[in-house]
Amino acid sequence: MWDLFVSIFINVLLWIYNVIGQNFGIAIILFTILIRIVTWPLNAQQMKSAKAMQDLQNDKEWQAIQKKYAKDREKLAQEQMRLYREKGINPFGSCLPTLIQLPILIGLYQSIIRALAATPLDLLRLSQSINPGFLDVANLIPLNSKFLWMNLGQPEPYYILAIIVAATTYIQSKLTLPPATNPNDQSAAMGQSMAITMPLMLGWFALTFPSGLSVYFITSNLLGIIQYAAQGKANWSNLLPKSMKKGS
Amino acid sequence: MRKKLLFISVAVLGVILLSACGGTVRGTTWPGLAADETTAYLADTSLVYGINLKDGAEAWRFSDPNDNKAQFYAPPVITPDGLVIVGSAAGKHTLYALNPRDLLTNGDFKNPAVEWTFTGAAAGWVASPLIVEDRLFAPNADGNLYVFDLADGQSQKQPVKVVELGGRLWAQPATDGERLYVTSLDHSVYAVDLASYAVLWQADIAAAIPGSPALGPDGNLYVGSLASKLEQFDPQTGEHQSVLDAEYWLWSTPVLDGDTFYFGDLKGNFYAYEAASGKLNWSIQPDGAITANAILQNDHLLLATESGNLYAIGKDGKTLWFEEVGGKIYTTPVAAGNLILVAPLETDFYLAALDPNGRRVWSFPAEK
Repeated sequence: MWDLFVSIFINVLLWIYNVIGQNFGIAIILFTILIRIVTWPLNAQQMKSAKAMQDLQNDKEWQAIQKKYAKDREKLAQEQMRLYREKGINPFGSCLPTLIQLPILIGLYQSIIRALAATPLDLLRLSQSINPGFLDVANLIPLNSKFLWMNLGQPEPYYILAIIVAATTYIQSKLTLPPATNPNDQSAAMGQSMAITMPLMLGWFALTFPSGLSVYFITSNLLGIIQYAAQGKANWSNLLPKSMKKGS
Repeated sequence: MRKKLLFISVAVLGVILLSACGGTVRGTTWPGLAADETTAYLADTSLVYGINLKDGAEAWRFSDPNDNKAQFYAPPVITPDGLVIVGSAAGKHTLYALNPRDLLTNGDFKNPAVEWTFTGAAAGWVASPLIVEDRLFAPNADGNLYVFDLADGQSQKQPVKVVELGGRLWAQPATDGERLYVTSLDHSVYAVDLASYAVLWQADIAAAIPGSPALGPDGNLYVGSLASKLEQFDPQTGEHQSVLDAEYWLWSTPVLDGDTFYFGDLKGNFYAYEAASGKLNWSIQPDGAITANAILQNDHLLLATESGNLYAIGKDGKTLWFEEVGGKIYTTPVAAGNLILVAPLETDFYLAALDPNGRRVWSFPAEK
């Protein structure tokens, strides 16, 4: 099943590579756009869920049960679930796109490694992943792994991609954070924490894994920012330092 | 809090899965194997082993203390004076000449002295070099063919010539004594003059060539490619034509016996092609992809497949016996005296020695 998933990725990637004149970097960028289009409904659902969770934090009934059952965690959980049900909120709805990202990430990583075939075993696995009736891959191999200054099959050694990955991840996380109106808002605290953790983690990925994966991260982040901005949901003020926000 | 835990769990899982994406295979590809009368030489991940043929015990091991990223999988070659030449596919891309007659004790292990090194290649050593008299012809994945004088006594080896070919050179060259024939992943076959090192011709066959060329009984050159075709070349001019369509990609080097070539494809077909008449005598499909070359044994051939089996196949295409060695076999087995050496992946041993009937004699266990 997993091999089939990776095979689909590889065939689509190589098809794009072939159509656009054999530039693997551009193929990854176009593939990422395709992934964002396919997962658009999930991202939209995530934004909806995040907004609903945020609104719930300011709900009077929610705040009342927090206060009332502060010392009875079991009862508090039961009441929270009741409220979720009543208001039609899935508390894990905003996590789904993150979970979806994981198999995509791993599948893309394996696809890049196999497609660029740096070792005999990678080339053999590529031969077992492609559909010869769909593509004349024999003529495409070896793929051109050069894109700008990068070798897409190797980690980028100059830290440039890692910095861009971390920066775009940070900007995207910050833009999607709603303004915290409640000091006890757990959701906002979680968002702030993720806005720091995610850029560091993806920056580390960019340093460790092939730079083709970083091209995916950067493209995906930029598309995310554009998506939020286009829907008028980007919270640009979050990018300003606290002192400037107070002054404005 | 639960969401935070979930996020952290997902992140940790992601790191683990990404780190483990190479699967269960040790190293990055299959090992390289060679042998002489007394010793098997196994190039596997960061180590090169010398293994006694008599009992399968480790005689020595080599790793480069100055290059912890070194990876060995090109089959080593042995010089007439007993040096083991092996290159690293990663790290500093060093080519080493090891001297197993000069062993140094290092804790529980014995290490061969390093007779010379060459560190000037821009990419890894995937191909096995070829020794022609006192010269070493070493193709590299940087597209260059490095020529060394084995008798110059240098400890920091410098090539006497760097022949710029192109693409990634993954296969050992072949020679007819006048020319050297080199295949490349850039779809080309090159002929290089052995005396002047001039490139005599280059022929493009529109598909990558991961295997070595083979010289036929008719004096022609034969090359299998990822276009699933066996190409025949005029060694003088490089003119070529396709003489056989296989079902899928050809990787293994055709092995010649009399007038007949034997080779496999990645769909697991094994072909017997008669070069003189241009006729396909027979083809069979034992099981699993075939990347390993067949080896000739008197009246039959030995063939290893991805499914981990070793087949003894008669020259009429009938299976005489087969042995389940285990794991996945991609490395070409090596015949050494009365033993057949097989180095599979994904098993609890690195090397197995079988007798001529396929019975296990000894195994060299995996590192704990």
